[in-house]
Amino acid sequence: MRAPTRSGKILVYALMALVMIFFLGPILWFILLAFRHPSDAYNLPPEFIFEPDLGNFITTFVDPGNNAIQLVNSVVVSTGATLLSLPFALSAAYALSRFAMRGKEFIMNWYISLLIAPPIVFVIPYFILMSWIGWAGSYQAMILTLQTLAIPFSVWLLKSFMDEVPLDLEEAAWVDGANRFAAFYRIIIPLALPGIIVTSMFTFVFSWNNVLFPLVLSKQSTTTLPVGTISFFASTGIYWGHLAATAVVAMLPPMLIFLVLGRYVVRGLTFGAVKG
Amino acid sequence: MKFRIRLPYLLLAPSIIVLLALILYPLGFALRNSFWFWNLQTSPMPLYHSGLDNYRMVFQVTPFTEALKNTVLLAGIGVFAQFWFGMGIALLLYTHLRGMGLFRALLIMPTTLAPVVAGFLFRYLLEPKGGVLTWLLQGIGFPVPPQGFLGNANTALFTIGVVDTWQWTPFFAIVLYAGLLSISEEVLEAALVDGATRWRLFWSISLPLLRPIAAFLVMIRFMQLFNSFDLVYVLTSGGPGTASRTLSFNLYREGLVNYNIGLTAAMTWLVAIIVSIIINLYLFFIYRKREW
Amino acid sequence: MSKKNLSRRDFLRMSGAAGAAVAGGLSPLANLSRVAAQSDATINVLTVGDPWDLALQSVVDQFTEMTGIGVNIESLGYTALQARLINAFLTQSADADVIAVDQMWISQYADNGWIRSLDDFIGMDSDANFDDFLPECLYSLSTWRNHVWTLPIASYAQGIMYRTDLFEAAGLDPLPSSVADAGDWTWEDYFGILDQINGMDLDGTSMYGTTVIGAQPVPVVHMFTGLSASYGTRWFTQFPEAPWDFTPTINSEANVAALHDWNRLYGWSPPESINYLWFDAGTRYSQGDIGMFYHWTPYFYLVNNEGYLTGTPSPVVDKTATAVLPTRTAGGDQVVSLGGWSLGMPSTSANQDAAWQFIKWATGSEAQKAMGEVNVKGYQFADFSRKSNYDDAGLNEIYPFLGTQLEMMNLGDGKVARPPAPIYTSLEGVYGLQINQTMSGAVTPEQALETTQILFQNILSGNQMIPYGVDSFDDTLENTKALQASLSGM
Repeated sequence: MRAPTRSGKILVYALMALVMIFFLGPILWFILLAFRHPSDAYNLPPEFIFEPDLGNFITTFVDPGNNAIQLVNSVVVSTGATLLSLPFALSAAYALSRFAMRGKEFIMNWYISLLIAPPIVFVIPYFILMSWIGWAGSYQAMILTLQTLAIPFSVWLLKSFMDEVPLDLEEAAWVDGANRFAAFYRIIIPLALPGIIVTSMFTFVFSWNNVLFPLVLSKQSTTTLPVGTISFFASTGIYWGHLAATAVVAMLPPMLIFLVLGRYVVRGLTFGAVKG
Repeated sequence: MKFRIRLPYLLLAPSIIVLLALILYPLGFALRNSFWFWNLQTSPMPLYHSGLDNYRMVFQVTPFTEALKNTVLLAGIGVFAQFWFGMGIALLLYTHLRGMGLFRALLIMPTTLAPVVAGFLFRYLLEPKGGVLTWLLQGIGFPVPPQGFLGNANTALFTIGVVDTWQWTPFFAIVLYAGLLSISEEVLEAALVDGATRWRLFWSISLPLLRPIAAFLVMIRFMQLFNSFDLVYVLTSGGPGTASRTLSFNLYREGLVNYNIGLTAAMTWLVAIIVSIIINLYLFFIYRKREW
Repeated sequence: MSKKNLSRRDFLRMSGAAGAAVAGGLSPLANLSRVAAQSDATINVLTVGDPWDLALQSVVDQFTEMTGIGVNIESLGYTALQARLINAFLTQSADADVIAVDQMWISQYADNGWIRSLDDFIGMDSDANFDDFLPECLYSLSTWRNHVWTLPIASYAQGIMYRTDLFEAAGLDPLPSSVADAGDWTWEDYFGILDQINGMDLDGTSMYGTTVIGAQPVPVVHMFTGLSASYGTRWFTQFPEAPWDFTPTINSEANVAALHDWNRLYGWSPPESINYLWFDAGTRYSQGDIGMFYHWTPYFYLVNNEGYLTGTPSPVVDKTATAVLPTRTAGGDQVVSLGGWSLGMPSTSANQDAAWQFIKWATGSEAQKAMGEVNVKGYQFADFSRKSNYDDAGLNEIYPFLGTQLEMMNLGDGKVARPPAPIYTSLEGVYGLQINQTMSGAVTPEQALETTQILFQNILSGNQMIPYGVDSFDDTLENTKALQASLSGM
């Protein structure tokens, strides 16, 4: 490509600066809110320099710390949903990656149609079902129903990683006398391990950020952190300071995971369809 | 040999069985109860067979068509904006100037947020009294409605679209950027040698080559936005009036505020039918393109 | 453990029957309190995060000291509480022994036998001082089909708050704080004052006449029905008097007039109040640019703080007075909206005797007084439902407006202002939406109420309420008073 001229460069950087301010500014402003004293939430003109106040974090996570348990719940539910989806997704992804079969395209599309179906349609019957079977408000209710998203997503993404493991390596193993299962464990799993880890991290983030299922299926003691933030919309007003503190904690794990994932972000967000 | 042929289906079976169970139960539940009168404000059990009453009620007592219109409008305009803004930013990244790698890594941050959190962010920024964005816009003379952007019937739905666009434009940007990178340099250079301008290059070569990616992205995002519940819930709760009611929010209200299970079941089926029509149209569209 | 509880419950049932038989004689109460005092039971209480909950939690240790019964209070947001209770309702089970009940849930829970009538407890337990309750509070919050299902823990009427300094500056007389002084104090007078003070400058602040609460659906219905009940409107052709006829009358002439006037009120309010929730209006007033507004009575004390539990006194704290609501016509009839929370007992509770001890205590005169005296970042509870609390000198010292509040309670009628018919929530949903639509100018009041009428008709017939096939009950205040007298052993 032809290098841009000097003025062209300046223009590109100026536009990029605007873009970054637009997309990151609101997040930074919200993070600052978490460190403000609650009574300063609406101070105008905006104050950028102020004495940081940890009170919001202390109230929400330490004393009385009602949100600390929600942090634990979020970890339990997201990890549980990720782990449960893996065996189902691994075997399905392997099948789709390694075998020619009739209806493969249809099956792939069926998985993706679940990913883009409206979850609200499922969640109301689940709400009633979980009451009937005594699972109302339980972790397993959330972990199980999250599979409607976790499995299809993982199948797609894992398949894209498995497609990259060369078939001849596996065939070499068969020649050595290993059966399909042994080859799967010895060749595919290790070679696809980075892909499995990346997939798990994405499943974790999507489960973490899901609000509808825990909103409807959890109870106070099992609810997750993003749902916890909503409760600061109280009938007695919006507690912006506390809300921001919990929201900041809730947004840290996804942010960090995305930074770690770096070049896999494109692939993960497109379910493996775009390699990036 | 026989084992070989059946193995892939055996491997697929567990996930398909689990997923079928997880979706057939709700759909079957909804199908049955859509023909029953069952309001949890009256009784913990379905009371009696009510024919098509629930389906009639969907149109008579809930703003169904209005919600459908809002939903399509939100998804359509939102995806359109996200695609083109994203494309613009992808082209900026494509200049490969120093620092673009860092920009790209940071740019994705809004997309990592839970939609409720994105909603809170803007709810705070857009408070009619004390919100910093309201204040800034008023400062530059922008006509901010006195009830705030989220409180005005003409701007509420649009504002939800803006927040979603804020959250998902980075996603389009980095994916389209990845798409641009995958276009072979040789094709582009050859065209440049032929004296094509950069704009022509973009319109006649890059864009068509991006079409498969674009179609996929647009489908995914259109449906995600079509289903969006969290943002509406946090930003406007469907208001003011029904100005920002969406199908998902309607279902939520009837099911989990009014607890009219029969009515919700009927609405569920109507929404399921609409969604499957849209999805199938898309799939048809994508298949057709592939055959070219 | 459960066996022990069961036998205790059986014992209670028997003594309940005996109590009715020997009312006034050898009191089975003595037995009851002995059992309770020895109890090692712990009960689970589900409450809602309203201001009263904070006061209750601050004094609940006194109950445990007195009775030995441990109390786990779990305080939820409104929707979380509702979802939790619906879950329990679905399976006809509950994980709590005492629950906070919105007045609108009584009919649903009672008709399905999910909560337990408290009649026999009250009947045998003269300790409950049942006759001390304001009958209007019982009627609005706790009775259904001639049984008492819950006892009120926090009752709210509506009343006016206004800025005395602004009235002085405008040369206006103070508003009547008692019905006796109200003379011909009408809503037109109220609007006239708003017209005069709206836009006035007070110490450099440009004042809004008032603020409405416009968020749909629940908040706007709460506040609009305050006005419309005062205009003498009814939701249905005949309810709560028997025989029930739920044919809607929501497009009545009086209601159209009320909705027109509601929109006049909005004209004197900050434009953003179209999206205000209850607390937004209270906070706005306490920030100092609202002249006068009407609201639920808890705001009589809540406006003394700048925001909930901020501990910062508001700038209006010494410049606010309270007043009675006006009537539509001079000296005409008055109906005041009465709402609030009460405590009930799921029929599945395994600790019914301990649960009753708790309900009796928490809604009792002493605990209510103690709650009123809690001072955490300001006094936070004056929502009494008992005469004795309104007569209490100490409480009147802390809450000087109690006299006005009591008069509003005495005119209260929660069954007319917002009728607790089954499926109320669905009706409220469409009603609130239409009221809100008139405020945004999308429809006229006439159109809105016409639409509401049709939607009500559809919803009510869709839910088999028109025609009403189930037995009616003549649910009048008189009948509640009679029930109260009979259960009090009078």
